[in-house]
Amino acid sequence: MLARMSNSTTVTGSDLAAGSVVPDQGLGSLLGQHRGPLTVDDDFLVLDDPIEQEDFCHPVQVDGRELQEAVLMVQGMYCPACSETVEAALGGRRGVESVRVHAATRRVTLRWDPAQTLLSALARNVGQSGYRLLPMRQALSVEERLAETRLLMWRLFVAGFCTMQVMMYSWPFYITEPGEIPYVYDQLLRWANWMLSVPVVLFSSMPFFQSAWRDLRHGRIGMDMPVSIGILVTFIASTGSTFDPTGVWGHEIWFDSLTMFVFFLLGGRYLVSRLRDRTAGALDVLMNRLPEQCERQLADGSFETVSLKRLRVGDVLRVQAGIAFPGDATVLGDSATVDEALLTGESQPVTRLRGQTVVAGSYNLAGTALVRIERLGRETRFAQIVALMEQASTEKPELVKLADRIAGPFLVAVLLSAAFGAWYWWQIDPALAVPIAVAVLVATCPCALALSTPSAMLASAGALAERGILVRRLLAFESLCKIDTVVFDKTGTLTQDRVVLREALVRPGLTAEQALELAWPLASASLHPVSRAIAAQARPAASAAAPDATTATSAAPDAAPQSAPDLVQDVPGAGLVLERAGGGVYKLGSAALCGLDQDQLLAQGLSVADAPCAYLSDEQGWLATFVMDEGVRADAAAAVADLRAMGLQVHLLSGDKVGAVQRVAQQLGITQVVSEASPERKLEVVAALQAQGAQIAMVGDGMNDGPVLARAQVSFALGHGAPLTQSQSDLVVQSGRLSELVQTIGQARRTMRILKQNLVFSASYNGSMVPLAIAGFVPPWLAGLGMALSSFVVIGNALRLSRLPDFPAPDPALLPVAAFTR
Amino acid sequence: MSAITADAQIGGVSDARQGIYEDKVIRQFSVMAVVWGVVGMLVGVVIAAQMLWPALNLGQFGLEWFSFGRLRPLHTNAVIFAFGGCVLFATSYYVVQRTCQTKLFLPQLAAFTFWGWQLVIVLAAITLPLGLTSGQEYAELIWPIDILITAVWISYAIVFFGTLATRKINHIYVANWFFGAFILAVALLHVVVSLAVPTGLLHAYSLYSGVQSAMIQWWYGHNAVGFFLTAGFLGIMYYFIPKQAERPIYSYRLSIVHFWALIFTYMWAGPHHLHYTALPDWTQSLGMVFSLILLAPSWGGMINGIMTLSGAWHKLRDDPILRFLIVSLSFYGMSTFEGPMMSIKTVNALSHYTDWTIGHVHSGALGWVGLISMGALYFLIPRLFGRKQMYSINAIELHFWIACIGIVIYIASMWIAGVTQGLMWRALADDGTLAFTFSESVRATYPFYAIRLIGGTMYFAGMCIMAWNVWMTVRTGLRAGPVPQIKIPAVSPAHA
Amino acid sequence: MESLLLLIPLSVLLVLAIIGVFWWALYNGQYDNVEREGERILKND
Repeated sequence: MLARMSNSTTVTGSDLAAGSVVPDQGLGSLLGQHRGPLTVDDDFLVLDDPIEQEDFCHPVQVDGRELQEAVLMVQGMYCPACSETVEAALGGRRGVESVRVHAATRRVTLRWDPAQTLLSALARNVGQSGYRLLPMRQALSVEERLAETRLLMWRLFVAGFCTMQVMMYSWPFYITEPGEIPYVYDQLLRWANWMLSVPVVLFSSMPFFQSAWRDLRHGRIGMDMPVSIGILVTFIASTGSTFDPTGVWGHEIWFDSLTMFVFFLLGGRYLVSRLRDRTAGALDVLMNRLPEQCERQLADGSFETVSLKRLRVGDVLRVQAGIAFPGDATVLGDSATVDEALLTGESQPVTRLRGQTVVAGSYNLAGTALVRIERLGRETRFAQIVALMEQASTEKPELVKLADRIAGPFLVAVLLSAAFGAWYWWQIDPALAVPIAVAVLVATCPCALALSTPSAMLASAGALAERGILVRRLLAFESLCKIDTVVFDKTGTLTQDRVVLREALVRPGLTAEQALELAWPLASASLHPVSRAIAAQARPAASAAAPDATTATSAAPDAAPQSAPDLVQDVPGAGLVLERAGGGVYKLGSAALCGLDQDQLLAQGLSVADAPCAYLSDEQGWLATFVMDEGVRADAAAAVADLRAMGLQVHLLSGDKVGAVQRVAQQLGITQVVSEASPERKLEVVAALQAQGAQIAMVGDGMNDGPVLARAQVSFALGHGAPLTQSQSDLVVQSGRLSELVQTIGQARRTMRILKQNLVFSASYNGSMVPLAIAGFVPPWLAGLGMALSSFVVIGNALRLSRLPDFPAPDPALLPVAAFTR
Repeated sequence: MSAITADAQIGGVSDARQGIYEDKVIRQFSVMAVVWGVVGMLVGVVIAAQMLWPALNLGQFGLEWFSFGRLRPLHTNAVIFAFGGCVLFATSYYVVQRTCQTKLFLPQLAAFTFWGWQLVIVLAAITLPLGLTSGQEYAELIWPIDILITAVWISYAIVFFGTLATRKINHIYVANWFFGAFILAVALLHVVVSLAVPTGLLHAYSLYSGVQSAMIQWWYGHNAVGFFLTAGFLGIMYYFIPKQAERPIYSYRLSIVHFWALIFTYMWAGPHHLHYTALPDWTQSLGMVFSLILLAPSWGGMINGIMTLSGAWHKLRDDPILRFLIVSLSFYGMSTFEGPMMSIKTVNALSHYTDWTIGHVHSGALGWVGLISMGALYFLIPRLFGRKQMYSINAIELHFWIACIGIVIYIASMWIAGVTQGLMWRALADDGTLAFTFSESVRATYPFYAIRLIGGTMYFAGMCIMAWNVWMTVRTGLRAGPVPQIKIPAVSPAHA
Repeated sequence: MESLLLLIPLSVLLVLAIIGVFWWALYNGQYDNVEREGERILKND
């Protein structure tokens, strides 16, 4: 029987898993295999180190067994299905007690038996699926934050639920005349109301009471004070009339207003807290990296791998190429080629000879360096820069100070008005005194005012976070609106973070491709930025050719030759030399190394003066000139022009050489330029500008920009830069696109506009309510309702910021995933 | 210590019983659901016919057990508790096992619930025509049967909540919340409304009388609708629609909010059955207001279910089972709109005691409860008997269309009848007396009773087609081999 | 309306009981990872 269903277009789960069908929008995630975007080849051994584990694991006892529990970040997760894959990778393993992945915060809570399995093994498993586990250093604070939100949700639920029920029991009073309901049922309904209001007062309202009490102890009046007084007065008066209806409290109860009021207040706070969690979650990913490890020499001459924490002054370390030096150290080998760009912004690598010092944080570029640690931790230059940054950072939350200045007197006025209203009406009709006083307190509650700022900022920050722009300091929105100057770093900010090959001038009879092919075995042997640039271009050409030349690097020219037929030697500060087994010597690097006269080449038009060049020569002499370009970012010029159009001054502040800086400045049309600036000098320049009244936004990526980033009113870091810089800046543009910088400024302006709208609205609302409430026109329930509606108007207005009209559609690859490695 | 609970093995993976879902009782309930559906609807057709041709009461033959007064409660009990009840048992036992990835707790007790429930039904089928009744609507059964119901229900609760307690997946899927609420609420409702002082084996005096009894009755009655016929079947909806559509529910978060909102709004809607009665005005108003409020969570649930198909509406074209499930939701929406409207006092002044109420009940019963049950059974039965699909898809299509047309005819005829009655009953002549006699209104609505009979018969015919289809499917399945033993997927001990 | 003497206290108790159940659900982590749960049922059998 031909079933209709077999002809249908029903897509089954197995179709999706097989990848043969693209799921439509509504499905939300791929069922089945999903691979994270990362290639993870770390060995994670450092995670097993007990000293490291002290930071992020803690032991738990289960059934008499000693287990370990850790909260880890998962890099590479960007959809719910990723959690399934991570759980699957971990869940079935021997020794794993429990796994729980939280998709929204990209955390995994893992409990395992150290006797049966190692954390490094588990991490490697997950790595094979394309996700990287990182220890979560702020695990405790994240747990706390989540527990806080959970408690808030719980309080909200209790308030909401009780409010509904209290409404039900209050309804009869709304629609009946006094005396219509028989006394017994009247009392029954009141008692029911009272019982259901107790949890609301004792539990749900706690945050208000706690904060009001805190303020009181400090002699301040905070916004929660009128709220707390309102709640307590209402509850006590209503309790009085419930249990002593003929007494001094009168006959009215206001449990309905009370519960409704608390519910709406909490609702506003809960929404804001959720927004905050969303933003913070994105930032957590940024803060976490693998703990560092390195190789330390033992007494017998062999090497062991240890975590950085175990290092001591005097240790001899072997640092591989591409690794940063963990401390200030003395070079023990003949020399070391290092990249200090992160510190100095220098795009040229530096040679340090035996006995000279390499600086903590700089990278070893070529071969293996043997060094002895001289300074660690706080004493290193690295740490000093950090300290400088922290000192320079002065948090001046303007808005908070303003709010405090106004709030104090306002709240005092509110309390006085309430007291006045109560006294006044007591003379006229005592039964009205309480409701009017309460109405004044409730109606004038500046909750809409209190929500105006955080809701706008959080909505904006949340929307930006989803585009890959992380806002670390919310008040930066305000600062961003006030800036009149943008100061850029050069290297890595306006330019690409590496040099690129611009052109190749070649010997007649040779094509550029052939020159690259010849250069390939040399260029691929070194991590020097110039080599890397050449290698990047040469790779396609070289892959066509048979890769018979194996490359080997050695740290010093006199190292023993490898058993491979071809030998590539690295000459520090000069370049590379290739000796083919079958004969032939090629050299790639400086003119001097290649035996060439640079001036002569210039005169012959075989070189250029205004760009760094690397030369390729063979036994016959000059083969090719590779002209490098710093690669100004494609959107930099447009961004600078846009900033100018917005009325902002643009400066360039760089640690690099004059020539390089001027080149870039000219390309982008920047006239205010400072070059060869040390971190201290940069700070001076910025301070001077500020002394003249400039409001500065600083954009940088390197470590040496750190102090000046902190000093500027607003700081931007770009996503690929030094992690420390990123973690200290106000905003991080992960994509590195300068156009997004411009758009962010636009967004900040919108944010402040909406924020001001909110403030004006809430201020007018509060202002108009006070006289009405004192005059007795506002019953408590209306006061509560008005307060709720005003809060929702403010939040709703703020949510307009969730749409980002200036930005193009989001690119899922740019969702907050920290892609940096060591 | 962090607030994270260990998602370690709950219930013990080493338990040798684990491995196969306990589906026998589900098979039993599913098949009996179809049987009782046919029976209950047949009785419905009979009593509808009796309203047209009173001779069918067979009074002249002295067969008082065939009279309308006795058959009507048989009809209501059969369709609600026999048909609806078996569907709920079958689906809740199925869903709780699959979503917890564990076997039913105490399968022997589950078997008792099956046989006990069948006994309840059989006893009802015997006692009600014999005229043994407590007189309470939807709670007519005499006290010994009430006790049996209590025993079965307590067992049901133990099996269901026990399965939840021994679950392997920490998160309790939303459908189970609805089932759980339904089970607990029905237990409470049943006990409260059935409280009585027996005078003999076959008779008891209710604890309540007069207007108090009315209040309790409709507190019970409406909550029975709310929890038995709504919450329970929403649980079915939340599982079977995503499974049949192969898409997750539109907004899982909304489903949770929907659940909690529904739970606490339903409790006070009862008084809307008692407008303009001896019940105090303010209680009536309370009922009215909360019935109106109930609109919001009900529609939230409906939207959540229907929007699950967002982006895949084409599936409705080709899959009649999905059509049953989704169309049931539109009837749910309609009824949960109509209900609050009818609970407004001014509207109720027209509709109370008329056939509009019957129309409303049947749009909910035939449209929502009926169709979702059929859809769920069509999903379950092939799987339970080792078939890929039902014996005849065309029969499902036919069933769908006949059922829908039948429902529409039924409801429309009752609306017209109801409004006619209401208008005629309140019409006043110039001198202020009633313009029409009661029998005149009966005559006026007579044709619509005939139309209703057609509609109801069509619906019944659809049920018969289903019964045939189920019979063929089961037979083919049993002939092909033993019933499938479905393995419980291995859950890694650390799975959340 | 003596029935109210039963029904009102009964519903107050119910409210408190329901609040208790919600408390359990929340702290048991039932609402932690809500986004994924809707899809979970689609993966088994």
